Amino acid sequence: MEDQTAMAETEPVAPITLREDMIARIAPGREERVFLLLSIFIGVVSGLLVVSFRMAIEWLSVLLLGSSPYPHQPRLLYIPAAAGLVIAVLTRYVFPKVRGSGINQTKAALYISNGYISFRTVIGKFLLSALAIGSGHSLGPEDPSLQIGAGVASLISRRFGMSKEKLRIFAPIGAAAGLAAAFNAPISAILFVIEEVIGQWSAAVLGSIVLSAVASVVVARSFWGAQPMFRIPVIDLRDSRELLAYAALGVVGGFASLLFARCLSYLRPKLRSQPQWSQLLQPAVAGLLVGAIGYFGLVQVMGAGYEAIDQAMHAQFAWKMLLLLALFKIIATTLSFSSGTPGGMFAPTLFIGAMLGAAVGTFEKIYFPHLTGTIGSYALVGMGVLFAAFLRAPLTSVFMVLEVSGNYSIVLPVILANTIAYLISRVLQPIPILEQFTHQDGLNLPSMEELREESNLHLEDAMQPFTVPVLQGSETIADTLNSLAQYEDLKSIPIFLVHCSDGLWYTAKREELEALAANQPEEQDATTTTPPAATLAGHLGPERTPVLFPDQPLSSALPHFQRWPLLPITNRAIRGSLEGTVTLQDVLNRYQKH
Amino acid sequence: MMTLQTEDYSSLKRKLILRDSLTFLSLLLVTIVLFLMTFFLFRSFTSHRQELAQRWSARGQAALNAGHPDQAIVALRTALSYAPGQRSCELLLAQALGDAGHTEESFNYFLGLWETQPGDGFINLSLGRLAAKKNDIQAAINYYRASIFGTWQGDGVLRRREVRLELSQYFIAHHDLSSARTELLITGGNAPEDVPLSLTLAQLLEKAQTPHDALTYYRKVLAQEPKNQIALQAAARLEYDSGHFDEAHRLIEQTMREQETSPSTPEAITPRYEEMLEDSTRILELAPLKKLPNNERVTRILQARALAKKRFATCSTQLSVASGLSSPLKDLAAKWTSKAATASRAALLNDPTQQDSTMQLVFDTETQTSRICGPPTGDDALLLQLAKFPKAMEP
Repeated sequence: MEDQTAMAETEPVAPITLREDMIARIAPGREERVFLLLSIFIGVVSGLLVVSFRMAIEWLSVLLLGSSPYPHQPRLLYIPAAAGLVIAVLTRYVFPKVRGSGINQTKAALYISNGYISFRTVIGKFLLSALAIGSGHSLGPEDPSLQIGAGVASLISRRFGMSKEKLRIFAPIGAAAGLAAAFNAPISAILFVIEEVIGQWSAAVLGSIVLSAVASVVVARSFWGAQPMFRIPVIDLRDSRELLAYAALGVVGGFASLLFARCLSYLRPKLRSQPQWSQLLQPAVAGLLVGAIGYFGLVQVMGAGYEAIDQAMHAQFAWKMLLLLALFKIIATTLSFSSGTPGGMFAPTLFIGAMLGAAVGTFEKIYFPHLTGTIGSYALVGMGVLFAAFLRAPLTSVFMVLEVSGNYSIVLPVILANTIAYLISRVLQPIPILEQFTHQDGLNLPSMEELREESNLHLEDAMQPFTVPVLQGSETIADTLNSLAQYEDLKSIPIFLVHCSDGLWYTAKREELEALAANQPEEQDATTTTPPAATLAGHLGPERTPVLFPDQPLSSALPHFQRWPLLPITNRAIRGSLEGTVTLQDVLNRYQKH
Repeated sequence: MMTLQTEDYSSLKRKLILRDSLTFLSLLLVTIVLFLMTFFLFRSFTSHRQELAQRWSARGQAALNAGHPDQAIVALRTALSYAPGQRSCELLLAQALGDAGHTEESFNYFLGLWETQPGDGFINLSLGRLAAKKNDIQAAINYYRASIFGTWQGDGVLRRREVRLELSQYFIAHHDLSSARTELLITGGNAPEDVPLSLTLAQLLEKAQTPHDALTYYRKVLAQEPKNQIALQAAARLEYDSGHFDEAHRLIEQTMREQETSPSTPEAITPRYEEMLEDSTRILELAPLKKLPNNERVTRILQARALAKKRFATCSTQLSVASGLSSPLKDLAAKWTSKAATASRAALLNDPTQQDSTMQLVFDTETQTSRICGPPTGDDALLLQLAKFPKAMEP
């Protein structure tokens, strides 16, 4: 399928299986050691590339649109259109894998191509995204940075002949580094990668993600400085009643994100289903239309729009103008993104959120002047709101606002507004936009939202009350045989549980006990003393059934059924105290019910 | 399953270590090369941005100076996009926003700058002005005060004085005259002997309704520049208004003389001053000053008594026809039957106390009749002026 090949890259076949195997035998701990060191290198190289990427965007912007673009400049019309044409040709014939934002492409690399992202894609993403954003297409640099980081990670890790498992993990590590450098916010980048790319917290990869993100941010800050992306205004929440105003912002943000997502999910497949020749023209037409928006007055919607966000934060627009900017940014981004122009959704999302937040803040300032919150704080919360509702990353959205603002006092409005917007978006648009894009591209990547919310089964869910006979390991063989003799239908009991003196359990098959009885001498001399090894536990040897607890994942029992037909589940508080048992059939039954 | 001999194992391990070391080394080299490339590109990029920032900042400054704040805003915003956080640009932009009438935006912008430099005199002054524009009186006063006690680059003393004068004007505009007077007196106390400053202080003190303090500063000006027309006229007016008709007369005469000798003086004499000169001349003719010879003083007292009696009679007639005499007029009528109203010239010549009593009767009559029968005209009006400050011209 054409779309599928456009997103998921095919890993070149390399004869590394034997080498991997041999390396694992020669140096068993090598991968772990190299893994951490490489994470730092990935962070540094990603940071450098992202710095260059940002430079390229700004340079191109000055070169193509002038140092201070203003309405009614004819170049606003023809530059994005011409750039769109160049991008379309290069995307078609040179860099076919660079379409889209980069998030889904990174996920595809992780889940489909064992973390493989080609060098050509990295170069293409760098050049074409810089050209698109620099020429005024309404897209952002963060998501491409994420893919560039992932590409760097893939490139470096391949050189070290790492195992497939590790190669796969490197993609999110690089993604976190790229995003952290682009956003100057390491925590948000780490959380976003975990929330949106990996989908789950994984201790194995967390340390490396943190290392690479920190390394890339250090590099980026050594060039750009440590100041935040926006000048943060005074943020103060004196009256808790003001939370109602932020709740209103949450509602507005929820519906705005819905509109944005609907526009994208409608236009993108429509344009992609057009004939190939027309797809070559789409970025140019989109560029012309976006340029027209700028030409007729709203230059702010062109490019990433950080300056306009900064201005909105400092109350430099009237509320009607802010609403207009938000609306036209939705239109411009929908056009640019749907046309297949490479570029990200982060910056436009933040732009729309900031404009809506500032609009709500300005409106409330005019009509409810007693409210103390500054317009800037509403703009900041608005950014988080759109991020939570549109990208469906609620945790990242909260931390992003905290990290960008450096102010903890805004946490309550952010949590409240983001939650409302997220819930509205979830109810009205059950499938997140990034997931819709993967479906449109014919891929079946795991849904991060589903992964996050997946309820894991535990042993207690399959556990049954124990019904098998319990024998004491401290008993002698003779006593055990006497105990067994009490059971009339011994032949019908396949399994016994032996409670050993060390508090652990042994699941004994009937055959094992019968073998014990067979090896026992017929008559024992009453005068001869029984040696200590004659206890049941002694005869069974040192092996014990694994210690399992009710709260452990259900899957943790599966590896043991090959050896043990029944597993005792014990209490964590009282050693050896039996809570119940599970068999393979119990586990399978539970999974089938799920 | 492949089995490895010990020699193979060691050799492979060595090869692996060598390979990893070389790969790391090459990675390190690539990183260094990439770093150097980025570094040099970034330097060029930064210098280009700085150039653009300077160019746009200069344009913004020029537009601001030319009185085009809207153009300045665009230019300065562009400059700031190339040099984010450049203090001078931010201050200019905040100022341009204020000049362009974007008070709220300008206030927020300055507030953002204030966050990082709460003790900056200029930022506090700007915030004070903007708060004043927003009619937030207390905030304006607080920011003005913070500006006075804040830090200033360059001539801090002069700046603080200017802010204090501005604050006084703000107080005057909001009718907080005592606060204005306090600020002005502090300014004056710390100010050097400077004619324009003393003149400003005097004018503001006059607006703050403290004519005595204002007169002090006009006198200071005249001590340094005796021919200063503004000070002469203002001092004359204040002297006249405070009953020092002799001094007022002298000053107005001096003003006119100066005017005649240098007609190019911008401050032309208004008819009011001519009137004041006429009145003060006549008052000086009417006033029974104690410094006059006794005979002359008594003559003037008798003249004043005759005028007052006539005024009382006219007022009484006017009132009795209408509605009968009012209580204060009845009291006055009783006084006109007293010794002070009838004392002869000889009695007055021999009794200075009687002279004072007679003049008191004259003043009471003029004051009461002006209240009851309306403002007097002619000499009665001048006697009423004298009645307001009976001892102003006495030593």
